[in-house]
Parts: sequence; structure tokens; C-alpha cells
Amino acid sequence: MKKVSIYRPTSTGEAIQILSQHGNEAAVYAGGTDLLVRLKNRLQQAPTYLVDIKKINDLHYIKEGADGSVRIGTATRLAELAGSDLLKKKYPMLVEAVHMISSPELRNASTLGGDILQEVWCQYLRGGYSCWRNGGHLCYGAIGDNSYYHSAMGGRLCYAVYPGDAATALIPYDARVKLATPTGVRELSLEQLVPGDMLVDGRIQSHVVRHNEILTEVILPRPKENLRASFEKLRPRGVWDFAMASLGMTIEVRDNTIEDSRVVFGGIAGKPLREHAVEAFLRGKPLTPDLPNLAVTVALANAAPLKYNATKIDMAKGLLASAITKFQAA
Amino acid sequence: MQPIRAILFDPVGCLAEFPADPFLEMAARLFARKKKPARSASRAYWHLLNLMEAADDLESIESLELEAATAATVYEDVIPALAELRSMNVNLLIATSLSHPAVARFLEKAGAARFFSAVWTRTNSGGIKTVPVAAALRTVDPRHAIYLTDTAEGLATAFTAGISPVLMMNDPDEAKRLAVKGPAGGIVSLHELPDFIRLVAARA
Repeated sequence: MKKVSIYRPTSTGEAIQILSQHGNEAAVYAGGTDLLVRLKNRLQQAPTYLVDIKKINDLHYIKEGADGSVRIGTATRLAELAGSDLLKKKYPMLVEAVHMISSPELRNASTLGGDILQEVWCQYLRGGYSCWRNGGHLCYGAIGDNSYYHSAMGGRLCYAVYPGDAATALIPYDARVKLATPTGVRELSLEQLVPGDMLVDGRIQSHVVRHNEILTEVILPRPKENLRASFEKLRPRGVWDFAMASLGMTIEVRDNTIEDSRVVFGGIAGKPLREHAVEAFLRGKPLTPDLPNLAVTVALANAAPLKYNATKIDMAKGLLASAITKFQAA
Repeated sequence: MQPIRAILFDPVGCLAEFPADPFLEMAARLFARKKKPARSASRAYWHLLNLMEAADDLESIESLELEAATAATVYEDVIPALAELRSMNVNLLIATSLSHPAVARFLEKAGAARFFSAVWTRTNSGGIKTVPVAAALRTVDPRHAIYLTDTAEGLATAFTAGISPVLMMNDPDEAKRLAVKGPAGGIVSLHELPDFIRLVAARA
């Protein structure tokens, strides 16, 4: 494993100061289930200085606001999210999704912030290939085996898929996030946080967080009335694995008619892919038996699969049909 | 890799889909080679160049080259990518073994002539393969330039000329084979080239 130095700041401000001092050589260390694997595999992009934020108390909580919203500190462990009665009651689809992230052991260590900001799990990057995310200038996933962990919706130099499930489940609830930066706190939507394949500080990454910024909080607005939600995930291994395709979806229903929806696909693109075309199609439609098949015809029209992963698009469409069918039965 | 200030293009395989047939026809007619189906026009073209190295009379193939240039289909992302590269002040040059009339016909048809600061062909450089590339490199610093190619011969040409080759990965199987030959980088589509240049500059 690469030799590292560890800082243990006790406040977000101190952590940001340390991160600013070391630039791209430093990284936030919380659960470590992504970061330590990169160090162990001696990836060129792995940091030399770890800024351990576990001692920062104000990043670890799940609390309900007076307005009915829920705020989650990003150092909160996935196991705590999965066991939260508050989240089960208000955002059951999020809890369902978290239960499908990796294994119970890893959920005891992984944090919400880490899941949202994790590095891609492309086998070429993780295997130490000199790809775009590891100091090189070529995407091996675009020309090699791209059946599992690569985009079927195009790419921007890197063709790996965004691997996080939490974001796919949070975006349909219109979640927002807070970033602590050297110049203050910045709030943005989760969709804006992970726009996929961004060039930030000389790196390709799925999110917009700069080297000296820390994701501190996820804010879930009070759930709307008449909201139905579903999370579905297809993976190579049924027990635990990253998604080959997943879907986080919410609909607002009144008198059996869909008033609004959020449709977010995971595992098929470099970001959690919000499918606005399906959302527009569903608006005002009654939940009739033919709706799943009709919705599928407008989904993912701009798919651009690589040589071995066209099946991901079929999977994603199948998940969409399945979710709408579930909503009808509810 | 150092910041990139110039890019050398060969129209065949980098800017457009050329038909393979005219190149195969030239090889068959002029060099008595059996006409075999080629995997791509680029491979047919470079195969022809290998034969041409030993030939005396290159002028007789010009009409078939014009036919290929006329029938070439420009990749849809080419014009937007070239425009963006020019707006980034990247110097764009053509360096090809095609004849000058064939390149002029191609650029006129594609509406792409305005993007290129220089056009080096076998006509004005006096040779093929490395010769037009070397001619183009007389006006740009090879350390800050790349040569786009999608063939093994193109890679070899770049290495001989002393410029970094970047692989156009149009065909994933061919690209996989060529990736082990040490290109400086690779792109799936020309629309990635501006980001390629930005990222290389940011890392420098």
C-alpha cells in the first residue's frame, strides 16, 4: 500500500485549510471503502495525505427540521441510514436503495458522502491501467470489455459509469447538498453535484467538488403528498454488486393520474441520468395497463452503447416498465 | 505530455469516412495486387501507400483519389470540433499522402478549408508517409503537437517523424490492437479533442 500521512482535524474549517495546503495530493478520508482500495492498488491518482473527517462531530447526524425536511450529515454511515426509522417512514425508497449498496460489513463503514462522491469502479482504472483517471490519456473501457461498468449513453474521454446508488435514489426526492468551501458554504442540487465526467482541478471526476471542498450535508425536502417511489437494481451478482442498470423513480398521483414524476437511471451513464423525456411523457397520463410499454418507447432515445453493453439499455427500459407496473399495483 | 498547440490531421480515417474501393482499385490496377475486401478505408489507404513507396509514377492514381475524396463522408462531429479547437487557438494542419487536388476537393466539399493553417500533401511535400508530416513539423514544435491516426502505419509514421500519435479509436477491436503500440493517447470521437487538450494543459 502507498505510504500516506493522516491528518485528524476537528472542524470543517481546519479540514479545508489542510486540503487547500496539499492540493490534489490530499483527499477526504471517512469510511475508506473506496479510498483505501485505491491506495492499496497503488493507483497513481491516489492521495498522499488523508484528511480524516471522522472526528468532526457536526458531519454525523440524521435530523428532522421543523418544516418536515430531513438533514443528513455526510459522515453518517450507510448502515445508520438503512436502520433509520425516520427515513423508513418518510423516504422508504432511499432506505430500500441503501440496503442494496454493497454488503452489511461495508455499509457499517461506508458513509453517505463517500457513496455519493466515490470514484468509478472501472476494472481498468482499478487494475492500475494508465487511463484518463489515472494519469494517462486513453479510455481502455471504450475499447476493451465494457459489458458491466461502462456507459451506454456516451462519454467525455472517460466511459466509466457513475457507480453510486444513493444519488440515484436521492435525486427523485429533489435532494439538495451543502458544500463547505474556503469561501463559505455553497448549496446546490444533488443533480448539479454529480453531472458526470467533469474536468475539475486537472482531473476527470463524476462530481464538481474541488480538492479543497467538503460535502457536508444532504437535505431532503418534505416528501410531497400522494408520492409513490420505487428503486430497482440489476447487478451481475445478486447478493451485492454495482448496478448494471438501476432506477430511482417517484410519481405524484391524484385520481389515478400522474401529476409529476422523477425518473433517474443509474449504472448506464457517467452520472445518475435523469430522463426528462419520460417525465414529460408521464405528466397527465392515467396509470393504465398499457402505460409501462408506452413509457419505454420514449426512454433513452439518445443511447450510445459501446460494443458489449447495449443490453444495459434493455435492462434500464425493463426496470422502467417494472416500476410503473408496481405503481399501478400500489 | 506537454501542452498541445498544434494538431496534424490525415483526412482519411480522422476527418471522414472514405470509401475503401478506390484505394483497393489503385492497388489492383497499378500494382497488380488482388483486390481484397479491407476492414476500413484507412487500412486500404495505408496498404496502398506501402506499395506506392516503390512506385515511380504516382500521378496516374490521382483520378481515383479524387473519386475517393468526392465520395468521402465527413464525420458529423468534425466541423464543431474544428471550430472549437480554432477558438482555443490550436493550430490545425493537414499532413497527408493524398495528392493536393484530392485534399482540396475534400476540404472544399467538407467546408473545412478555413480551419487549417497549412495543407501538406505528397504534391507539395514531395513524398508520402513521413514526408508530409515532416514538412508540417517545420512550422510547429513537435513537442507541442499531436498527429491523429487510426492505423499501425500511422503510428509508425508519427514515431519516425518525432511527433506524438493520438489514436482515433473508431473501431474498438482495431484500437485495442493498436493501444499496445504506445500511442500518446486516444479518443473515441473528434468531439473529445478539445477536452483532451484542456486536460493535458491542466496537468502540465
